Amino acid sequence: MTDCKLIIESLGGWLDGELGSSDAEAIRVHLESCAACSAERRQLEKLQVSLKSLLVSDVPQIAFEPFWSGVRERITTKRSWYEGIMEWARPTFAGPGLAWTVPAVIVVLLAVFSLDSFWKLGAPRNNFAAVESIDAHGRNVALLREDETKTTVIWLYQNQEGENESSGENTETSPSF
Amino acid sequence: MSLPGRILKRALLFSWLICLAAAYSVDAAENNSQTVRVKIGTILASNQSDDIDPKLSTMKNQLKVMKYRSYRLLKEETQNVVWQGTAVFEIPGGRSLTVTPQEFRNKQLALKVRLQHGDKPVVDTTVRLNNGGNFLLGGPPHEGGALVLSISATAQ
Repeated sequence: MTDCKLIIESLGGWLDGELGSSDAEAIRVHLESCAACSAERRQLEKLQVSLKSLLVSDVPQIAFEPFWSGVRERITTKRSWYEGIMEWARPTFAGPGLAWTVPAVIVVLLAVFSLDSFWKLGAPRNNFAAVESIDAHGRNVALLREDETKTTVIWLYQNQEGENESSGENTETSPSF
Repeated sequence: MSLPGRILKRALLFSWLICLAAAYSVDAAENNSQTVRVKIGTILASNQSDDIDPKLSTMKNQLKVMKYRSYRLLKEETQNVVWQGTAVFEIPGGRSLTVTPQEFRNKQLALKVRLQHGDKPVVDTTVRLNNGGNFLLGGPPHEGGALVLSISATAQ
């Protein structure tokens, strides 16, 4: 492993002591004879020193205590069933989950409403008919709207001098609704 | 915009498109209806027996409101008729029923119905009923009972 490009790519691992002994020895030998790679090594070492000093100086300023106390509180506090459900449902209502929940709900609602079109078993769900006009030509007429089956009935009563006599048909046309 | 935001935006747009398509299809179904299938069931209601025709089992509850003891299906006829056109149905006892579909609006059909006995009009009525629904027209005497006409209409 003597190619400068490969050496430079491996410098980080070499500085962190992550390479095998043979690779580490090859890099050390190369660095002794290659000014460019040695310069790269010094740059990396400077960067490492800078990062370490920065982290060391900032760590005391980070307030970890509230974070840990929050974690402890969540572990020890017993959640109510309501909070449990909210926790379980939270991913559904956040980010991509919400993005798919909204159209899914809309599609389900549309499907439920369109079921109305296929509700053809027996009488339709709301079978009431609206009678806009009616002319029984002098006969008595009854209009009945029955709630249970949502049925509208128009019942014609025969007048004594009307159809009944002229047709000569025996009749019993007065039902008790 | 973040990835979830983009997905949410697309999903909402997709939902709106579905809603628009659904609304359009309902509207188009009403506007594109060419004919109406009119079905007339002629039933003899009487108190001469306690039998209910098995063919009337689906409308047994509807018929019970008239308190007769017996119901028998005499005839069933279906005709396709264009809007504003006329369908004439022969009814037992020398009667005829003329049905004229008027319009289809808000999932309801308006039907003009005329029952005649020979040349004499018995009843003229205009009824608005749900698509695929029915109503009953009864009373004319027949064979010791009364005729009940189940009139249903479905936009095609």
